[in-house]
Amino acid sequence: MGPGALQKKLEEEVEAYKKIQKDISKTSGLRTQLDVQLNENKVVKEELDLINEENVVYKLIGPALIRQDLEEARQNVSKRVDYIQQEIKRHGNTIEKLEKEAEAKRENIAKHQQQLQQMMMKQAANT
Amino acid sequence: MAANKGAGPQVIDISKLNLEQLTTLKNQLDQELQFFSESLQQLKIAQLKFNESGECVEKLTPETKGKEILVPLTSCMYVPGTVANSEKLLIEVGTGYYIERDVPGAKDYFSRKIKFVTEQMEKIQKIASEKSKLREVVMDMMEMKLDQQLAVIQQQQAVAGKMGEGMVA
Repeated sequence: MGPGALQKKLEEEVEAYKKIQKDISKTSGLRTQLDVQLNENKVVKEELDLINEENVVYKLIGPALIRQDLEEARQNVSKRVDYIQQEIKRHGNTIEKLEKEAEAKRENIAKHQQQLQQMMMKQAANT
Repeated sequence: MAANKGAGPQVIDISKLNLEQLTTLKNQLDQELQFFSESLQQLKIAQLKFNESGECVEKLTPETKGKEILVPLTSCMYVPGTVANSEKLLIEVGTGYYIERDVPGAKDYFSRKIKFVTEQMEKIQKIASEKSKLREVVMDMMEMKLDQQLAVIQQQQAVAGKMGEGMVA
């Protein structure tokens, strides 16, 4: 492989690396959002656990408040908490995977850079 | 090792880091500190809101019933109305859920919320002051390293200068 081809390959690798980094920041942003949602739902669950059947619960659906059964509301919020926790786990795994990929790409880039430098030095020595 | 918290789980001796690593660490700490101050501000707003609502509940007594109030339609437009029910309050607890509570229940809710927010603020303040202490240490270390590097460069220049003189002579 000549220096031109190697240079091209290096650029491609850097591009791919940048893309992975972008994906990582996107996914971690999503995860932060999920964390916020999880906290909010947990707070709601605590409140619902504190009250009894005498307290009426409503849920805002679109522009209207709909009366909810307390037990049903508790179950719904619990389900939501479970779902969000699963999602957080899933995003965590994705981030881990992407970070491994990024690490591999970084090594690859370093390798290519070294090769390119050696090639340049050889050329300089020859001329 | 509280001072090393920001640098990861393992203990890192910052005197062993080079200038570039120290700069990265400082930038990271700056970012974290900014995040903390933003969070504190948001918590302060939340605290104020809960406080305001709590005070409003305090003003609600059984005598309030039937009294005239101005109902805000927008933030600057009101219509007159009468309080039909001063015992039941609808409180938003998050994610679209509203709970109907009586006056003591609402008071309890807001005082609990204020307590919670205040606790969170205290926690963040503690972490933030630790971080800013760590940042000071990193800054000191950076200055030290910079002085060292400058000294080395000056020395090299002095040596080079002497060698140059020798050549001329």
